[in-house]
Amino acid sequence: METEVVIASSPTDVGISCWDLHTGEEHLRYKSCASPSHGLTSVAGRFLASSQIRESKSSSSSGSIQYWSWSKPQVEVRSFPAEPIKPVVSNSQGTYIAGGGVSGDIYFWEVATGKLLKKWHAHYRAVSCLVFNDDESLLISGAEDGSVRVWSLFLIFDDARREEMKHLFEYSFHEHSLRVTDVKTGYGGSNAIIVSASEDRTCKVWSLSKGKILRNVVFPSIIDAISLDPGEHVFYAGGRDGKIYIAGLNSPVTSNSNYGLHIIGALSEHSKGVTCLASSADGFLLVSGSEDGMIRVWDTRTRNIIRVFRHTKGPVSNVLVIRQPKRTSSTSLAPAVRRHGLPLPPPLEKFANNPDENAYVKVLIGPQTLPNQLLDSPYISVQTMEAQIKELQQQGSSAAAEVDVERLKSEQVRSVQMIQQWKKMYENLHQFCVSELLEGSHTESASGQNL
Amino acid sequence: MSASEGMYDVALKPKLLRSLLREYVPDEKHPFSNPSELLYVVSTVKTHKLLSEWAPLPLEQDLVDAWKSAVDSWVHRLLTLASSSLPDKCWAGICLLGLTCQECSSERFLASYAVWLNKLVSNIQPPVGSHLLKAASCASLSDMFTRLSGFSNAKKDGSSQATKIIQPALKLLNEDSSAVVLEEAVCLLCTMINFFPLSVHRHYDSVEAAIVSKLMSGKCCANVLKKLGYVLSLLPKSRGDEDSWSLMMDKIVLCLNSQLNDAFQGLEEEVRSAQTLRALLPPGKESPPPLGGLASEQTSDLSTRKPERLLGSRICTLMQCCCNMLTSSYPVMVPVPVSGLVALVGRVLMVDGSLPPSYSFMTTLKQEFICSEIPTLQLHGLEILGAVVQGLRSQLLPHVAAIVQLLKEYLRRCKFPDLKIKAYAILKVLLMSMGIGIAIHIGQDIVSNVFIDLDFFSGEKDGKSSRLHAKAQTELSSESRLKKRKHSSLASSFQAQPVQDGLEVEMLHNLSPISVKIAALEALEALLTVGGSMRSESWRVTVDHLLITVATNACKGGWSKEERSIFLSGDRTATWADFQLASLRALLASLLSPGRVRPAHLALGLELFRRGMQETGTKLAEYCGHALLALEVLIHPRALPLLDLHSSTNEYKVLGSKIRDTVYPSGDRQISTYRAGPVDPESEDDDLYENWLGDADELEIQVTESKQNADYTEKPPATATDPTLGELPVKGASLTHSTTKEVEVLVSATGRNDKRMGNTDDYMVESPRSRNTQDQRADNGPGTAVDGCVAVQSGKDALESVDLGRRIASVENDTTAKSNVISEVHGTIASTSEQQVTETKDDGVTTIVKRISATLSNTDRSKDLMLESDNELSSDFPDIVDGDPDSD
Repeated sequence: METEVVIASSPTDVGISCWDLHTGEEHLRYKSCASPSHGLTSVAGRFLASSQIRESKSSSSSGSIQYWSWSKPQVEVRSFPAEPIKPVVSNSQGTYIAGGGVSGDIYFWEVATGKLLKKWHAHYRAVSCLVFNDDESLLISGAEDGSVRVWSLFLIFDDARREEMKHLFEYSFHEHSLRVTDVKTGYGGSNAIIVSASEDRTCKVWSLSKGKILRNVVFPSIIDAISLDPGEHVFYAGGRDGKIYIAGLNSPVTSNSNYGLHIIGALSEHSKGVTCLASSADGFLLVSGSEDGMIRVWDTRTRNIIRVFRHTKGPVSNVLVIRQPKRTSSTSLAPAVRRHGLPLPPPLEKFANNPDENAYVKVLIGPQTLPNQLLDSPYISVQTMEAQIKELQQQGSSAAAEVDVERLKSEQVRSVQMIQQWKKMYENLHQFCVSELLEGSHTESASGQNL
Repeated sequence: MSASEGMYDVALKPKLLRSLLREYVPDEKHPFSNPSELLYVVSTVKTHKLLSEWAPLPLEQDLVDAWKSAVDSWVHRLLTLASSSLPDKCWAGICLLGLTCQECSSERFLASYAVWLNKLVSNIQPPVGSHLLKAASCASLSDMFTRLSGFSNAKKDGSSQATKIIQPALKLLNEDSSAVVLEEAVCLLCTMINFFPLSVHRHYDSVEAAIVSKLMSGKCCANVLKKLGYVLSLLPKSRGDEDSWSLMMDKIVLCLNSQLNDAFQGLEEEVRSAQTLRALLPPGKESPPPLGGLASEQTSDLSTRKPERLLGSRICTLMQCCCNMLTSSYPVMVPVPVSGLVALVGRVLMVDGSLPPSYSFMTTLKQEFICSEIPTLQLHGLEILGAVVQGLRSQLLPHVAAIVQLLKEYLRRCKFPDLKIKAYAILKVLLMSMGIGIAIHIGQDIVSNVFIDLDFFSGEKDGKSSRLHAKAQTELSSESRLKKRKHSSLASSFQAQPVQDGLEVEMLHNLSPISVKIAALEALEALLTVGGSMRSESWRVTVDHLLITVATNACKGGWSKEERSIFLSGDRTATWADFQLASLRALLASLLSPGRVRPAHLALGLELFRRGMQETGTKLAEYCGHALLALEVLIHPRALPLLDLHSSTNEYKVLGSKIRDTVYPSGDRQISTYRAGPVDPESEDDDLYENWLGDADELEIQVTESKQNADYTEKPPATATDPTLGELPVKGASLTHSTTKEVEVLVSATGRNDKRMGNTDDYMVESPRSRNTQDQRADNGPGTAVDGCVAVQSGKDALESVDLGRRIASVENDTTAKSNVISEVHGTIASTSEQQVTETKDDGVTTIVKRISATLSNTDRSKDLMLESDNELSSDFPDIVDGDPDSD
């Protein structure tokens, strides 16, 4: 079973911490990372990618995106996009990375080659969060201008169709009045819901299929982070007042809660604001990062804290729960790869290139099976034999004829030998008879003479 | 102790082996007459594991020795046989040696494989001339190396042994041997590439040259060609690096392109070839050496007897090879030339065999030949496209648009069933892998194509559909009759279509065969699964209607047995049963995929599934069971909907019914008949969400809902006195737990209903043309639902108040009666103004919504109002009746 790990980063340069969610054991700490909110992602569990924004450095005008492989604490690959990127997100197969720029542009890179496949102007102000929907055909972005927009990647790449459309986005939601702080979406394909949080103290639930608001939840404080329960009966909203509110999605409307309509309850232990939330795969554990630098793990059934990790003194900006592939998983790859280790992809390019150069797509083809699974089928001799027997039994087929010819040949040889033998015998007999006759006549004549 | 075990007795095994050796395995002295006896030997050895020499602990030394000596003599006999001068005996020895390689114990294998190897190798080298022996030896060798690859400690030795085999195997390939030998030699090479890549590595170029020259020679039969293509696609694996894969792919596609030049000469514009070449070989990239080295160049002359057939089979093999490379796993990342492949496939798909006017040199004879080959070429072209989609998965994204465009264009032109099926299959995979993002943009295109292929209704009215089914049955039976006569494949059963055309000429020629319909249904199912509820307004209603009609028609004449066709012909052909299953699958997707309105055909669908489930033991019954399980949630919704009246902007009605204003795809006649035909009055307008919300207020639904809900009508009053039914998520539930306070709420709820009725009245006066019974009713739903839930929630801590409950029940009965009347009234209104539904209705509805929410907030605030509203109950009734003449 894969282990689940918690990784966390903060806006100050304290690196990325990494713990085992269930045992609490601390893993490697990856160095030199200062990521803004939503600026940390795991690319298909293969490596970590994070956007960097450093105010203090002289090169503050442009941020960077860095890669860490699981096994080394140092930054391995550094990319320098055209402008500072805040949120980054990767699809689950790790083929694409999308980044939201401070100018409101969205950048879409291919990971394997680092090519900037597309860049489009998405928002009037900086993109604050990005997320893929469950089948990863849509990209949902939230921005500082308060809008949430849904993009179909198919349309983004279809030049002909794009020109026919009035606008590039599928939906544009403008109900938030202030900066959007987090966007999450759940299962359900075209019927999925999108939950967005904003500085206007509300979380709004949107229907993807209808393209309109389903529910508006007003919170006592600004919500900076949300996490959707995997079963989607509630969502968790981390507030600046240090509480994690539990808001119902499927529950009946209750107004008797202390916090407000739709809010079922709250987890509270934090002294400072909650900045980020993540859920474990089974939905029983909730991980929260706080401004006080602590990471708390909650049991959502008992609503108790079951573990606390200390990341740093300063605020935590990102926590993720990742199913980490086994460290030995490279054995499942082909020997060549195992020997060299799967290298990290090249850095992300700054500018989009000529579309003609995208004629080739680098891809790992086929299921990467374990080598001993290859051995399933391939014994063939019995099968071949059966086919040949069939052919042999079929009168007049070439194989049967071949065998018959060979058999006849040997029979012929035998027969020839036999004939020789018979001939010899015959000749012997002949000789014998002749000599016998001659002798007989002799004696006869002799006897006749005698008569 | 061992004697009691019978056939499981280990001691039996050596004896059995010896008796096999004595009775069935040929020997030197006696003639070997019946080769099929070997089959018995093989099956016995395999079943009883006679060669395994494995005995359970504790070991008995006698047994081990006996077994060992038995296997020793078995091996000895085989080796003698394999050296026999008589071909049949030698063949038997080789075959059984192959079996021994699979079955014997590891120790024995490792100890003696070298000896066996030499024996086998001597049989594929001259002076052995018999094809039979060569083929059998290749097969046995292949098995030996397969087994050998499983031992990690023998890898090195195995590799050096394997290197020795390659040369003789290549020689077999290069010689002009028979198909049997070629096939086995190719298999041997595959084994080597898979398990001992190093051995092939050294002979890479010569292997490639040998394969390609055979491939191009045109002397091989289809089977061998297929295997040759396969081994060529495997070849880069022997090196296992990015460059060899890429080089091989480039060589193949360029070779394909030049072959296509020969084939399509005169059938397409000259620029096409250059365009494709540019896509395949972007400027700045140098062209690779020709496939198979220079040796193969001279073989590509077309002076043979049937040049077009030859060209066709070559191109198909290369395309197949291309597909294999795109789908079989490769250890490292490789650059796939997507644009080039799509351009190449596009080139093949866009040729239709017609001569462009500018070009007239081509003889009609050649045109005929090429035209006969085009469908096969296109099928393989589509397979490449499918392989690209499969191989690239999500990375296809930047190129999806081009592929979709190509497929769309092709589906429009394509007439051949097999090709259509393939195209639909690719669309289906694309939809499933690319998700909603693509579905919302290409849904309309798919739907219009599917409508043409599922064209049950071209020019027919009600009576004809039964004839259609009868005809389809005859079609089926004549198909199976055909199958009896000749072993028909999928393709040939389509060719059999003209036979039925004789029966009913006027209708059949424009019908697609069942298998195309199945493919179309599957594509539609995928579309509904992925994007059935997003941006589907323009086609959803017609598609739902189409699917229920197709399913009803498919299942009208009872269920056909699925076994029959399997019995008659070995390979599966599309049957009526498959069609029924496909139509039910699509129907389920249509029912489950949430739309704006409650599934209109739920009742009919449920009935179909229920009937299907009774066909015990069939796949169809299994599926129907699954469908009923899935639909149960739809009938009794558990999760509460998100939407409520308290959300700030609740203007879904405004967006709501654009459905009727949209232009329908392709203006097909059958679609417009749906529109004009009698639509279910209750299903057209009610929104799914609102209906579900309204389920706490069942009464309202009953008014207009048809039979399926009829049984609920009795329930609410009953539950008022029967607390055990309190679980029901209907109003009754709240009644049973009602406290005085709650009852007040409930009274207010019913009061609101009356308010609504009053509003209805007002509204009708305002705009008499519209007939929005359902809208208003449903709009009211959320409010009452909320209250009902509140009641359930707080019901725990309260006392029951039977008196009040009774009162409510009577009030409810009152309301039922009244709303029945209302529905009648509206029925008449609806009939008069049926066709006049316009946009103004929407505006009306929003005003209503506002007004209702205003009233609701009023009632919330002032408790006094409730009693008043109760009084209104009696006074409202005549008002509405009065409203009737007004609206007229």
